Order: sequence, then C-alpha cells, then structure tokens
Amino acid sequence: MASKQKNTTPQQQRYQALQQKHEKKRPLLKNCIRAFFVGGLICTVGQAISYFYIYFFDFTEQSVGNPTVATMVFLSMLLTGFGIYDRLGQFAGAGSAVPVTGFGNAVISAAIEHRTEGFVLGVGGNMFKLAGSVLLFGVFAAFVVALIRTLLSMWGVL
Amino acid sequence: MRNTYRAMAIAGILLLSGCNVDQQGKDSQLALVKTTNPKPIVTDGQRTPTWVEEIKREVSSLPELYDVAVVKGQEGTLVVYKVKHLHRFKMKQIEKDVTSFLEKKHPKEKFTVSSDYKIFLEAVRLDEKMKSPKFPKKKAEKRFKEIVKMTEDTK
Repeated sequence: MASKQKNTTPQQQRYQALQQKHEKKRPLLKNCIRAFFVGGLICTVGQAISYFYIYFFDFTEQSVGNPTVATMVFLSMLLTGFGIYDRLGQFAGAGSAVPVTGFGNAVISAAIEHRTEGFVLGVGGNMFKLAGSVLLFGVFAAFVVALIRTLLSMWGVL
Repeated sequence: MRNTYRAMAIAGILLLSGCNVDQQGKDSQLALVKTTNPKPIVTDGQRTPTWVEEIKREVSSLPELYDVAVVKGQEGTLVVYKVKHLHRFKMKQIEKDVTSFLEKKHPKEKFTVSSDYKIFLEAVRLDEKMKSPKFPKKKAEKRFKEIVKMTEDTK
C-alpha cells in the first residue's frame, strides 16, 4: 500500500484523498450482525434437516452429514433459480455465502449467467467458474489433513 | 409475490402439523431436543436388576453427561448418553472413560457405549414399545441387536 502511494503523482494523491473523504462508510457492525443472524438461521435449518433424517430415517449422527449437506445445497440451488437466494445474499453478505448453501448459489448463479452462451460451452464450461476454487482447495485441504492424520497414526500419536 | 409467500407459509404449517398426527405425548418425539431420562430396561421383560439401575445412576452422575439410557439385552448392555455441549469436543475420550469404568465395575458383562443421538432415540423408542404388553420379547431382543449393530457404524 505504501509503495503504491509512493508511485502516485501529487494530483493522484489529492484525488485519492478527495475520494476517501466522499467515500460512503460501510456499516461494518450492521453487516456483521446481519451475517451472524442469517448464517445462524441457515445453520438452524441445516440442524432441523439433520434431525429430520435422524428421526425418520436410519441415519446416525455420524452419517447424517452427507444427506443434510446435499439437501441444503439442493435447496439453495432451487432458491437461486427462483431469485430468492440472490436477495438474501444482498442482505446478509457472508452470512449466506460462507455456509454450504453458498456453494450451491455459486454453481447455479454462474450457470444462469452464462446460459445464453450455449448449453455446453456456456453452462457446462462456466458452471464451476466460481465454485471450482472451493472444490480445488477443499479437496487439497482434505488431502493434506488425511496425510497428516495418516502420518500421526503411523507414528502412534493418534 | 405476497401470495406465493403466503402459500409457502401455509404449506409449511400444514407440513409441520401433519407430522404431529397421532404422536402426541411420546417422549421419543422430543428425545433429540429435551432431556427424557428413560428408566433402564431389560429386553426379556423381567424386573430390572439393581445393578442395571446402578449403572444408570453411576453414569448419570458423571458431570459431562446429562441424559442416560440403559438397555440390558441377553448378550450385553447398551449404555447411551448425551454429552453436555461444551464437553462435546472430548466425546471420544468420554466414551473410552465410560467404557473402561463400566468394564472395571462389571467385568463379566459386555458393554456397548454410545453418545450418538440416533442410538439414544432408538433406545427411547424401544423403551416406549416395551411399555405395551402386546410387544413380544423376541422382537425387543431383535431390535436391541439391531441398535447395537447400528452403533458399530458410528465408530
């Protein structure tokens, strides 16, 4: 940041100062509260779904995670398609993007955005444009954690 | 748009109230969210031995646990409990401690210990079914074995 300021001309620095003066301050606390409550609400729905699967099907606490995540992603995909999740995203920000439902939203919103470019190169080619990085780093992180766990159990720590 | 929201709300209420039909007053209905504290049961329908009741008392006295169900079958005893929220990080250790504690106290008995909500729910459901005199003992033992088998998936 400091090197960036050094490279700017006095005119640019004056402009930046003017811009900072007129820039609208972000309501950080309000955004955090909104994200907290909406994120918590999404997690409550997830908990209710997992209780539903435990109660009515033969899922244990260990195995209920998979169908719950699948259901939550599916629901968020549907809500994205209906245009409801986008509004929720505008209201809650990270509160709707960080839970697993944000993944479904990222997949479907990219697919909708590129649907005019065709089914294969448009939808197929761009569907994972946003969610691809989540998948890549998720798989890589899982690999690293599994590696550490394997090594620790080989050495007798775990 | 408002009509759509209204229709969704009505559908949600109908769905929730529909799930409630003919199940009022049962402990298992809320076993996942409230403390039910079921009495220890024996699958052969006999009077519960004092040592089984003692197990329930001893396990309940542990400060990390708050809801304990004990089911005694022909080939072993199932002990299921709920762990207090802040102690859930140490669930594996608690399970080990409870198992070793029970095995030390009753070396001849085979114990199956679990903290899984599903297993707890099924133990409460079995308890409720066994209250009915029409429920055959053979079926109770069969269900007990199924629940014990289910615990193997959770480990």
